[in-house]
Amino acid sequence: MSKRYVGKDMLKVDAESKVTGRAQYPSDLKFDNCLHVKIKRATYPHAILKDLDINRAKNIDGVVDIITAKDYPNLNKFGLIIKDQDVLIKMGEKMKFMGDALAIIIAETEEIALKARDKIGVEIKKLEVITDPLRAIEKDAPPIHEDLSGLCTDYLKPNLNQKNILVDHYLKKGDVKKGFTEADLIVENEYRTQHIDQLPLQNESGYALYDDKKDEIKIWAASQWLHDTQADVAQSINMSKEKIRIIQTAIGGAFGKKEDVSVHIHLALAALHTQRPVKLEYTREESMIAQSKRHPLIIKAKTGVSSNGYLTAWSVEVIGDTGAYASSGPAVVHKGMYHCTGPYNVENIEGTSYAIYTNNTYGGAMRGFGTTQMAFAYESQMDILAHKLNIDPAQFRYQNAYITGSVTPNGQKLGKSVNTKRTIESVIDLAKWEGEINK
Amino acid sequence: MKITLTVNGEKREVEVKPQTRLLDLLREDLGLTGTKEGCGKGECGACTVIMNNKLVASCLVLAVQADQSEILTIEGLNCQDELHPIQNAFINKGAVQCGFCIPGMIMSSKQLLDENINPTEAEIKRGLSGNICRCTGYVKIIDAVKEAAHKMRSRGEDDV
Repeated sequence: MSKRYVGKDMLKVDAESKVTGRAQYPSDLKFDNCLHVKIKRATYPHAILKDLDINRAKNIDGVVDIITAKDYPNLNKFGLIIKDQDVLIKMGEKMKFMGDALAIIIAETEEIALKARDKIGVEIKKLEVITDPLRAIEKDAPPIHEDLSGLCTDYLKPNLNQKNILVDHYLKKGDVKKGFTEADLIVENEYRTQHIDQLPLQNESGYALYDDKKDEIKIWAASQWLHDTQADVAQSINMSKEKIRIIQTAIGGAFGKKEDVSVHIHLALAALHTQRPVKLEYTREESMIAQSKRHPLIIKAKTGVSSNGYLTAWSVEVIGDTGAYASSGPAVVHKGMYHCTGPYNVENIEGTSYAIYTNNTYGGAMRGFGTTQMAFAYESQMDILAHKLNIDPAQFRYQNAYITGSVTPNGQKLGKSVNTKRTIESVIDLAKWEGEINK
Repeated sequence: MKITLTVNGEKREVEVKPQTRLLDLLREDLGLTGTKEGCGKGECGACTVIMNNKLVASCLVLAVQADQSEILTIEGLNCQDELHPIQNAFINKGAVQCGFCIPGMIMSSKQLLDENINPTEAEIKRGLSGNICRCTGYVKIIDAVKEAAHKMRSRGEDDV
């Protein structure tokens, strides 16, 4: 088998369906007698829902129904790692970011659903909007999730607001104090990265259908975690997993953005409610507001180096803005911290990382899962150190690079396929780098 | 209102609303779902079709503007079930990943090669500059257009 495929150019099995336009993405499906669903979302990033007036919207000709939390009071929260996200915001409870759903509008056409959405009256009590994670961890910052706490460890610094810290992680290798004592030069900097949308070309969309004979809901939507999504939809609407079928269509890109639940639960409810096929398709704006982003990280890096250019110690603090919900946040800031030194050998390392709740759109999975943000910090540190030491930055990287037997910050001994030095050599070649390296 | 247009060589009469976009007409009324919507704002190129021998973002063209026009979509590209050389080249060069941008990408390639059968790499890049792909990094797509151009040139010579 390996001789037939490995190292050979294989034709992709579904390429022909995609170059002819025959491949079916969620919005390419067609159902007779189909209803259209739109979501009324939060009107402010942090506010208590005081009143929701759906009467005017409901009276529009062609509106089939409008679902609010009142119609389904027993819905459970959902989420990839921690179940902290509401299906619909209840009266008297809080909207925590602009993507939170207040009502599900179901109508005969998309046009009517949109018209009805704009006729829904929303009364709110505004609260302080927290967009900066450093504000969120101040003691007097209001808690974003009142009902969630106790996830933090005993190591958490007492001066931080535990209420808005979703999770904290720690890392220790060698003796970082000793490492900094041995250093001839120490460089300390703070790096900040921004929200990035994964921007798959196909927006979140799908269809659902309730089969009353089998008491089963079928959902056609693109998902990266098919079975996790199935389980999450089932628990959120109190049905057994066997009663939820998710049928994977062609996926128009995802890059982490389709790990989270998007249209699925709202579609399931609308199908159950109307017993007719239903369609929900996000616009690009809606996708940007309501679905995950790459986490912005604040990375405080302190690096010690000997005068002949060998790294002696590295400490890092990573503050991740996970936005209104956890999603993949706990894992992303954890992995990011473990990659704090990149592909470079350091004996003595200490690290802390946090995922912080804010009222921003939630951070989730995106290519690299926290490591790309870290690369910006450690590669900048390497350049600054090389410059200060007056060593060729390629040479500096090369002499600190991982080799077989190197041990990563989290204690993994690298056994094989350690190609860092070969990679640096290739980069030097391809970039026509003028400096020379001592191998 | 009723409009008449030729889509993939076939004359069609369609009842449209003033706000119907050409994209909706193709996808909803004619069932030609090969043309995709990625942004609805003419930024991504997923909805690219050829209208009167010019590339258009079909999300920015009203259906009424397409009255009396001639439209070519991805479904009209393969004649008699045989793939167009551009389609074959996209398959052979591994230029297709998620595939959502590919119909638009292929229509832009077709227009480019119809106007210039021997494009330089810079001309290919300019020709496809209206189409975003988030998967491939474009390298294999450009390779595919080069291969298609080569095949179409040699086929042209055979015809002579």
